[in-house]
Amino acid sequence: MPVLKDFGKISKKLMSWVLALGFLLAVSSGCTRERRLEYGLELADTLRINILSEPPTLDWNRSTDTTSSLIQDNIMEGLIQYDLKDPDFRLKPALATEWSSNEDFTRWVFTLREGVEWNDGVPFKAEHVLASWERLLNPQTASEYAYFLYSLKNARLYNEGSIKDFAQVGAKVDSEGRIVVELEQPKTYFPMLLTHSSTFPIRTDVIAKHGDQWTEPENIVTLGAYNLKVWDHDRAIVLERNENYYGEKALVKNILAYMINETSTALNLFDSGRLDSLHTLPSRELVHLKRRKEYRETGIMATYYFGFNTTRPPMDNVLVRRAIVHAVDRKQITDMLGGGQIPISNWVPPGMLGYEADVGLKFDADEARRLLDEAGFADRSTFPTITLSFNTLEDHRRVAENIQAQLRRNLGINVELANEEWKVYLRSLSTNPSHIYRLGWLADYPDPDNFMGIMTSFSDQNYTRWKSERYDELVRQAVAEGDPAKRQALYVEAQRILTEEGAAVLPLFAQVNHLLVNERVQNYPVNRLARFIFREVSLK
Amino acid sequence: MAVVVLSFFALPIPVFLLWLVGILGGLSFIHYTFSQNLFVYVMKRLAEALFVIWVIASLTFFLLRVIPGGPFDTEKALPPEVIANIAAKYNLDAPLHHQYADYMLGLLKGDLGESYKFLGRNVSQIVAESLPVSLQLGTYSLLLAFLIGIPAGLFAASRHNTWADNAAMIFAIVGLALPSFLIAPILIIIFAFKLNWFEVALWLGPEYYVLPVIVLGTGPAAIIARLTRSSVLEVIRSDYIRTAKAKGLSHQVILYKHVLKNSLIPVLTFSGPLVAGVLSGAFVVEQIFAIPGMGRHMVQSVTNRDYPLILGTTLVFSIMLVLANLLVDILYAYFDPRIKLS
Repeated sequence: MPVLKDFGKISKKLMSWVLALGFLLAVSSGCTRERRLEYGLELADTLRINILSEPPTLDWNRSTDTTSSLIQDNIMEGLIQYDLKDPDFRLKPALATEWSSNEDFTRWVFTLREGVEWNDGVPFKAEHVLASWERLLNPQTASEYAYFLYSLKNARLYNEGSIKDFAQVGAKVDSEGRIVVELEQPKTYFPMLLTHSSTFPIRTDVIAKHGDQWTEPENIVTLGAYNLKVWDHDRAIVLERNENYYGEKALVKNILAYMINETSTALNLFDSGRLDSLHTLPSRELVHLKRRKEYRETGIMATYYFGFNTTRPPMDNVLVRRAIVHAVDRKQITDMLGGGQIPISNWVPPGMLGYEADVGLKFDADEARRLLDEAGFADRSTFPTITLSFNTLEDHRRVAENIQAQLRRNLGINVELANEEWKVYLRSLSTNPSHIYRLGWLADYPDPDNFMGIMTSFSDQNYTRWKSERYDELVRQAVAEGDPAKRQALYVEAQRILTEEGAAVLPLFAQVNHLLVNERVQNYPVNRLARFIFREVSLK
Repeated sequence: MAVVVLSFFALPIPVFLLWLVGILGGLSFIHYTFSQNLFVYVMKRLAEALFVIWVIASLTFFLLRVIPGGPFDTEKALPPEVIANIAAKYNLDAPLHHQYADYMLGLLKGDLGESYKFLGRNVSQIVAESLPVSLQLGTYSLLLAFLIGIPAGLFAASRHNTWADNAAMIFAIVGLALPSFLIAPILIIIFAFKLNWFEVALWLGPEYYVLPVIVLGTGPAAIIARLTRSSVLEVIRSDYIRTAKAKGLSHQVILYKHVLKNSLIPVLTFSGPLVAGVLSGAFVVEQIFAIPGMGRHMVQSVTNRDYPLILGTTLVFSIMLVLANLLVDILYAYFDPRIKLS
């Protein structure tokens, strides 16, 4: 039909126009593409990182996540900091030059550094520290990390609202301008809490002036090695060197932090030379990423474990729990994951005081079968099907399926898998955990109390419902023990009660961080604490 | 059109231009509704739309409270004192009907509330920052879909039952069948890594827009091509075209006035659902190309149980859908006089 012929001609013309336009665009953009950075930055003095997501807030009294704290750690400083190069993460002075405690670790005195200025020129004073602690504990602030300072005398009551006057809380400034802290109970590691961003000093006058908007770059007042220069929400953050920083100035002038939450997208950007480092790698590509020269890895103070709901039959029988722990070969799981995870049978991760490889029940299938027989399940058909639950994630599923298969093979029992979306899962844990549940723990500070405290009978994190007075007592003693050797012994004993005698948990492995760092970057912070402080990084 | 071109090349769009577009669009719309006696109809539809949106808002509000897990459930369980403080701050300890009344009153005042996750950021602020990006992506993709789909359909129809027709249609089927998370990496490897023409991700200028727009536009383009083809073939065989030819009308007139206009009606019908498809498909594309659009917030707010943000994004999406459908219905009457809206 002739009409149709015309159509053919027109459509051909149209299509060729579209194609030509597309081609033109491709070529023109290809030609104009040069390596210029956004926000007017120069590549030579800018470190480009990915922080995965928009920081929920930069208000350090209120944030709780690692993205926010990465930025805060670079724009702010606490009274004390870790020596990140020291394998034991010894503490070193920051805004406090020295500190000491009384003999039973209930009273601490911090001497503050003089001559430090905020980046608006106001001198740093002890009042800024107390103002921050008051704000952190104030019920109106509704800070999730208020409990970080619950060890201060009356702090919990103040946070609860039953004490209205902050003067009754155990933190004061003495006549010499030092900060004096009174604790409810002895705490050997109290200074470590002051390395955490939630306790950093704060300028309440700035907050009063700008309200919730005080964390925007034009309002925020900080004193760290970098200043917040740009916060382009959902896109990027730019930090610029603070030329008035009291200590050694940062070596790299700018940090450009993108917010790309898809790890494979970030990897593409790294490969195309748009990112200098990646802190999270797609787990399925680890095998070949490990062979790259940019690859770095470090064990971190985080564990992966399964807990038993010790009130739900048959898990109320300690012999059953021991049988299950004995029946799991951890090495098989870490090999399957292939990320260099370290199998552990005790509770505290390697690299931390209290770690003892010898503690905990090891893989022993014969012993496992014997224990299950002894528990009264010699006839395996009488053993009920138990449920193992985890939050929905590919890697968790792989681990769960592996355990399911091992228990089937080594014990001849049936395990049902159940997964739930994260928030639903958390709710189930606190109301009625299944027979076996998955969880992990990332250290807030590198002290074993942070891990041991989880399993005390009064802990909010203990979903096993397992209780041991002796365990509670040992943990309490250890916190007040100043001698590391004695402390170690107390923790070893406590861990034997938790992982062997009580077998309330099945510790699986300690986690590993995998990174890619471009070769032009030197001195990149790769440490067990997973704290990224960029002051000493330099670029080739 | 100028606005689209300017925004594509990441050039600043003069505010007066936006106003001009808005005013012209609004005026011509009002003029059109009056000239067609559609004013009552439009008002009725708008009232219906308001009702629909109220239902959506209420349903979302209550469904969110029903699903297990709250906004402040965290891996590290919080002491009861802290939980109480948070509940008091966000008014979560008030009876549910109070919370609902507060929320609805806020909505009437145009206040979508403050995000629970992103402290100190208003939901309206988040939407204002991310929606334009999503709109940009969606508009370019739709334009691309029409620009490729319609000519391709015409072309295939003109070569009806030849190899060219078959090839075009197989191409369309493939484009429709391949999911965006498969097309995207392939295009990235070829055009970003091998040829180095476009960027692998981010949303900073034209060279960044091309790949995501192609990925998002391919599916709709394929559908439009198939629709156009079958519709042209149908129209061309209809009686009125034969009459037109018998009358001795020129090819041009038959083509533009009769065939093209009539065969585009099914494409128009499809545009409403198409907008929905592009909007919801955008999430995957935004994710793959790290585009700071609204899709990310839409999905992640649910994971975070960020009630105000979930409600806000849901409402904005519903409003856009309702309006798109209304617009399509009105355009019908324009293109097809047989359809009477009342």
